[in-house]
Amino acid sequence: MVSLPRIAAVIRREYLERVKTKAFWISTLLVPIFLGAVMIIPAWLAARGGGTFSVAVLDFTGRFTEPIRTELDDLLETSASTATEELEETGVVPGEQAEAVGEMVSEPLLKLELVPLEVGADPEAARNRAKQSVHNGDYDGLLVLPATLPDEGQAEYVSPNVSTFQMLSVLERSVNNVMVASRLTAAGLDPDRVGELTRRVDLKTFKLGAKGQETHDQGQGFLISYVFMMIIYMTVLMYGIYVMRGVLEEKSSHIVEVIISTVKPFELMLGKILGIGAVGLTQFLLWSLLMIAITAPGAAAAVGMGGLELPAVPAIQIIFFVVYFALGFLLYGTLYAGIGAAFDTEQEAQNFQGVVTMFLVVPLVLMMYILNQPDAPLSVALSLFPFFTPMLMFLRMTLTQVPAYQLVASVVLMCATIVAAAWIVGKIYRVGILMHGSKPKFKDLLRWIREA
Amino acid sequence: MTDAILDIDHISKRFGDVTAVDDLSFSVPRGSVFGLLGPNGAGKSTTIRMIMRIIMADSGRVLLDGEPVDDDRRRLIGYLPEERGLYKKMKVLEHLVFLGTIRGLPPGEAKKRSQAWLESFELGDWATHKVEDLSKGMQQKVQLIGALIHRPQLLILDEPFSGLDPLNTRVFKDLLLKMAAEGVTIVLSTHVLPQVDELCTHICLINRARAIINGRLNDIRAEYGGNVWRLSGELDREAIAALPAVTDVQPLGDELLAELAPDASSRELMAALAAQGGLESFTRFVPELENIFIRAVEEDRANG
Repeated sequence: MVSLPRIAAVIRREYLERVKTKAFWISTLLVPIFLGAVMIIPAWLAARGGGTFSVAVLDFTGRFTEPIRTELDDLLETSASTATEELEETGVVPGEQAEAVGEMVSEPLLKLELVPLEVGADPEAARNRAKQSVHNGDYDGLLVLPATLPDEGQAEYVSPNVSTFQMLSVLERSVNNVMVASRLTAAGLDPDRVGELTRRVDLKTFKLGAKGQETHDQGQGFLISYVFMMIIYMTVLMYGIYVMRGVLEEKSSHIVEVIISTVKPFELMLGKILGIGAVGLTQFLLWSLLMIAITAPGAAAAVGMGGLELPAVPAIQIIFFVVYFALGFLLYGTLYAGIGAAFDTEQEAQNFQGVVTMFLVVPLVLMMYILNQPDAPLSVALSLFPFFTPMLMFLRMTLTQVPAYQLVASVVLMCATIVAAAWIVGKIYRVGILMHGSKPKFKDLLRWIREA
Repeated sequence: MTDAILDIDHISKRFGDVTAVDDLSFSVPRGSVFGLLGPNGAGKSTTIRMIMRIIMADSGRVLLDGEPVDDDRRRLIGYLPEERGLYKKMKVLEHLVFLGTIRGLPPGEAKKRSQAWLESFELGDWATHKVEDLSKGMQQKVQLIGALIHRPQLLILDEPFSGLDPLNTRVFKDLLLKMAAEGVTIVLSTHVLPQVDELCTHICLINRARAIINGRLNDIRAEYGGNVWRLSGELDREAIAALPAVTDVQPLGDELLAELAPDASSRELMAALAAQGGLESFTRFVPELENIFIRAVEEDRANG
């Protein structure tokens, strides 16, 4: 029989030793900052794609500079005001705050000033003069509207820096809009009327929940589940390797024999896995608290600026996220414990470690298939395979309505696999922790299992 | 029948084709300092590991105070393995408290005792340092404290002096002698024989998985000494060798060793020597443990 006080003493030691390290607190702090950055910075950058640009214009048609300037101002102003509207509409931030945030962004961040240049008699000479002044830094760029523009639809932009996408896109859109309007007018049509008639359809996607409720989903739901899946992958891998290193350290420091003269090897293994798992759960808890703090008003505003909505993750998914992390860690942690026990150094353990890690990586490869066909029989089967369950079943949960029996089956299957793995690995562990010297081969491990 | 604290009763262990321990039996008398001796690979550590249930005997039993050792009762034994270490990142005091709690002490008590022990080893200032900051000698003291912290009545030490500098060897020996004086039974395995002479009251010599000598050290010495006498003075070697009962005479430094026929009387030799004159001392020769060890191992090899 296992002794609970002894296991508790081991768990306590493993837990405190790791929670007290700087590395634990650094990773606890850095990961949410990193995740937040991944989510917020693109939105922030998009919103901040601003700056003031001065663009010289060589208008060989002689009549489009002014309409383009007007269109440009219109576009820049609408983009600022839609940001405010979106904020209110999505409800990410309550009404009053949306206004405040809206004010922040209502000032167009991107300013574009068009400076018409003399065309003169010699087009080539005018071009060269203009290029030279761009080169000298008088302007950020040069927009050339050739005389053939209305027919051929080709304009040119010359600049030392052509990667200012936000500005280029606005510039292109305004030139385009003006040209389309001009052609429509030439064909005797009213540009406003045509615009109204050809307005695009907005396809809003909704995910049907268990109780028939619909959740508005703009794809961020998937983004979140992808991030969560990656967190399961990384934490199971990271904490699994901690277990392996812990066992290797006990072997190489020769503490293990002192311990197992009073604690059974199985108790030591169990205590180590549970202690390190508890560190993982603690980290999740701290991450959640930090994420809640980060996504509080100020940061949400930054997210809102990019028009990105932080979707509410259903409670059931959060529960299963923790359940699948815990089960996945128990399964992989047990395997890594066995590997740590069998070998003397991490280098020696590399091959076997690679095999186990591969089981964790395969779901990442299978992800695309599951994404496209979450309910296909193969997807169901793969997500029920205990080594893939933590990631794939969780992914399916976020994509589709997984029947309750499948969730129950996945948990039962995983628990059974964990017990079997603990039983087999326990034998390898018992023999392995006292072995030093020659590197065991696979058949040696099988012999240990048979004989122990 | 002496009172035995530990009985090893016909234990055997095979690893694949190798017999590490073959039907080994011995008893450790209560209060003794018991030396488990033998050449490298004789099976000393395997025997100790079986006593501690770190590996399981294929057959036979181990009795502590007459009761079989199980996973709970083995914690009554203080054990210092040959391969010993500490968690390097742990603080010294926390480490000792951990070792105390897995040996069944309440944390508060474990802390109190650890502090007392650290003070007595002059390590009090190091209690809150990490183990890795300690010198090797200090770490060895911490390991020893870990084995003693639950005040065991039986202490089993596998090669306790290996890796110790002379100063720490002295500290360890003094501590062991002090504990022995307090009635703690000590079993130690070693192949450093002078230490056995200094510490042990009983020995068991293991060779090739079996016990070849077992008993009280003084009895064994007397037995292996044989009918050999140590002579000093102004002596004539040739004349002594010519005496009828004497089978051999060997020099030993300035002295002589005279071996008599097994049934010959030492009185006759003394009388004869007194007649020759020049005899200053006449004592029974007590062989060095090393000689006994080598002789026993060689005899065993010849028999096998």
